Amino acid sequence: MSDAPASRGALTLLRVFYGLLVVFLYAPIVILAVFSFNDGDPSFPLQGFTTQWYGKFFSNPLLLAALRRSLIVAIASSCIAVALGVMAAFALIRRRFVGKAATSALFFSPLVIPYLVFGISLLLLFTLVDKILRQTAGVYIGLGLHAVVIGHVVVTLPYVILVILPLLERLNVSLEEAAHDLGADAWQTFRRVTLPLLAPALFSAFLIAFTLSFDEFAIASFVAGREPTWPVYLFSQLRVPSQLPELIAVSSVILFMSLAVVVLAEMIRRLVERRYGEEYAARGLA
Amino acid sequence: MTRELDRLIARRIGRRDLLRYAGIAAGAGVLAACKQASTAAAPGSGASRVPIAQEPGGLKVYDWAGYGGGEYYPKDEKATWTTPYQDATGDTPTFVLFENDDDGYTKVATGNAPYDVVHPCAYRFKDYVDLGAVQPWDPSLIKNFSQLTPLLEQFGQINGQQYFIPEDWGYIAPMYNADQVQPQEDSWSLLWDERYAKRIAWINTLEMLVIAGYYNGVADPWTMTDDELAAQRDFLISKKDLVSFFWDQSYDFWLKFKRGDVWIGYAWPDAFGYASAQGMNAVYMQPKEGRIHWACGLGLFADSQNYYHAHEYANVWSDVKTAEFLENFYYYGHANTTVDTSKLPPGVVKALNLDNLEAALSPPLSHQESWISRRDVYADYWGQVKAA
Amino acid sequence: MASVDADRSWRRRERASTAGLLSGPVLWLVLFFLGPVLYVAAYSVGGIKIFPTDAGVVSVGDWKRFLVGGSVYLGLFWKSVRISLTVSVIVVLLAYPVGYFLALCVKKRKYVLLLLIIAPFLTSYLLRVLAWEVILGDTGVINSFLTSVHLRSAGHPITWLLYSQFSVVVVLAYVWVPFVALPIFVSLDNLDLSLLEAAGDLGASRLRTFWRVTLPLSLPGVVAAFVFVFVPTIGEFVTPLLVGGPSGYMYGNAIQDLFTRGTDWQTGSVLAMFLLIVVAGLMALFGRYVRVRSVAA
Repeated sequence: MSDAPASRGALTLLRVFYGLLVVFLYAPIVILAVFSFNDGDPSFPLQGFTTQWYGKFFSNPLLLAALRRSLIVAIASSCIAVALGVMAAFALIRRRFVGKAATSALFFSPLVIPYLVFGISLLLLFTLVDKILRQTAGVYIGLGLHAVVIGHVVVTLPYVILVILPLLERLNVSLEEAAHDLGADAWQTFRRVTLPLLAPALFSAFLIAFTLSFDEFAIASFVAGREPTWPVYLFSQLRVPSQLPELIAVSSVILFMSLAVVVLAEMIRRLVERRYGEEYAARGLA
Repeated sequence: MTRELDRLIARRIGRRDLLRYAGIAAGAGVLAACKQASTAAAPGSGASRVPIAQEPGGLKVYDWAGYGGGEYYPKDEKATWTTPYQDATGDTPTFVLFENDDDGYTKVATGNAPYDVVHPCAYRFKDYVDLGAVQPWDPSLIKNFSQLTPLLEQFGQINGQQYFIPEDWGYIAPMYNADQVQPQEDSWSLLWDERYAKRIAWINTLEMLVIAGYYNGVADPWTMTDDELAAQRDFLISKKDLVSFFWDQSYDFWLKFKRGDVWIGYAWPDAFGYASAQGMNAVYMQPKEGRIHWACGLGLFADSQNYYHAHEYANVWSDVKTAEFLENFYYYGHANTTVDTSKLPPGVVKALNLDNLEAALSPPLSHQESWISRRDVYADYWGQVKAA
Repeated sequence: MASVDADRSWRRRERASTAGLLSGPVLWLVLFFLGPVLYVAAYSVGGIKIFPTDAGVVSVGDWKRFLVGGSVYLGLFWKSVRISLTVSVIVVLLAYPVGYFLALCVKKRKYVLLLLIIAPFLTSYLLRVLAWEVILGDTGVINSFLTSVHLRSAGHPITWLLYSQFSVVVVLAYVWVPFVALPIFVSLDNLDLSLLEAAGDLGASRLRTFWRVTLPLSLPGVVAAFVFVFVPTIGEFVTPLLVGGPSGYMYGNAIQDLFTRGTDWQTGSVLAMFLLIVVAGLMALFGRYVRVRSVAA
């Protein structure tokens, strides 16, 4: 009759299982890294060490252009999403209005839609809009990065709101009211009191939106048009891995970089939380 | 008084109203879209054309990969298309790619293809004309037109006008790796030979239904009835498990063939050309049911502003140098009759039957890739083959 | 008096600013989310005409053909559901022991160990699929390894490893396991340990405690995890496209093909709307398990 949740035998099993799962999860990534240095196609036996694939990656203009585009799209859509998300969160938490449930449902509904369906619906939207514009004004916009940004804002908005809401809830309203009494108008209050306090949530929200947008394939595949983003470009190379070794080199770099980013982000988040936690405690806000 | 008014106005600008207005706007938008999305582009008139010097230039070519964009042979493609066109007009073309005929046609049909020149294949020519998307060429403006064989140019004549200028042509035939495969007979049946399960590649289009039709003895596989289509569909479904993958780009098929992932495939001559150049023991079969020959050609969009530029581009396409590039690199035939076949690799001449064009383009050697009037029905049946 | 007026004007401005605040996100979602989805719905009943082959007449013919006309696509839908179920079950079975281990058996550094499991999910999806393409192919890592140690003769690789339903399931499971570990961990982590102690004190064996206390209490997390995987995977199209081959073709692939390889966007819209309705319905059904806010913490 012990109070441990698992016997020693079971504990060992669980430890082994955990280890095996970690191996299973990271083995393909490690394999990719190993073969990125292989002088030849990715299959046994290994054929010697080389770094040529990494060199080729940097000289591939299409690849670099795609990466650049994804960067632009991710930054743009994250900024817009965070701005809209703050507005939405504010309205949900700080204001009373009729139909809050419906509005809330609207804000979170993009979570439900499969990106395949949403990408198609955007394709339809832009096709129809282009048709109208062409016939009325002779103007043609077409598909492209603007469409991707629009789509990414829609799908990242719920996540942004989800991240901001809890922090906004916890913030003490009396701080803002005090600012008002001291003569600050709404915008000043927001800018100099609320916004800094929201900073950690905004940072997290931006990071989440950025990550989502950068790796997003389905929507981009339908509306990026002739401006492939990084995942779209990657996919076109993956369908038949014609430049497999180069691709593997790039993939290893990106995978390890993103793992590093994940670790870094987590450390920063803890740091920020701890620091703001202290400040909240000091100001009696927590 | 004003304060009351203010309050009334302020209360008006509520979220409910906002949503209502937004909803009305969206609804109006839907209605407008429904009404206006139905008219196709009007065909261009030749009445008032500006001379070439006043055309905007920046010719946009809507094409397959490898015809100038530099996807496969950057230097040679540039030398074949871009440079001669630049020399003739001082203009630089830009290339927009489509995956295949279906992809290209779909974009044009949505009205969102604001380009000048398009390069589809003959069995879709009539579709483009029916859309009203293209205008006829004026062959008298193309110096090299007289060198093009009428055998192919007839494909581009619709309603008595030269709507398309067929340039490149080739075959559809089974290709196999003779080191690994010994076919029991020269027939399309190799594409579903059970001895080579998972070593076979099909094309990812509805033409598989046509191939099945030829194999199963249908009289005219290009105009099949629903019953005949259903029979081909069921046949293909029953053989689907033998297939490793469906290819969209011929080059992708070639790469898998080269790596030995597949040994047999529905193939265009360029795959055979790559294999021959690589020294592989590939065979481009002449099946007993006959190969299929296709021809692709240039179309001029109805609302293109670059009428004369486009004709210059067509002239480059019709040049004997372009013919030599296609025949040497892709093992594709070309409509230009002045090519010196003695200078070509012997494999090409044999594979394409270049020494006797008329025989090459007729049964029993090959059937024409014909326009399919019930294409949407065929597409539906092919979708069912993939989904089953 | 003055402060009441100031109060009123403050409230008035607040209401106006509420409208202002809401207008941005609401307008964006209405224009770029509701609108387009309504278009798809309208197209599925023929309300939109883009191509010459579109009827342009409102009718439920396409819906009838899909739902009751013995459409192949409906069969494809059920095939996708089957694959999705398989993946979800595998993923939950793999993730539960890890969640249990981390939540209840690990004292120090449990969040670091959890992060180790979750981190791969935050890297590129496509690249992780690429890794499996490299591993499973005919000349890939597994087959070439087997050949080089003479477990299989050269030229006879295991062909069903790649371009099959097997590869689709393996890759999807690989992609989702990290993600699923989180809700299971959270629900186990929130267990009131005193309940377990009480069960032990009352004489229950560890196995019994697990079966009758731990498992039922963690069920919401398990269901949440299951739903998180099951629902999106039904419409999955990228993995089947890359590693599925002809036999790994799924419902999402049919939708994509209809929109990109032809002009039958009407049937495509029917399929897309059906998927959306099913997904939305499932989420509504399991909504009480999927407490979005707490899981997103």
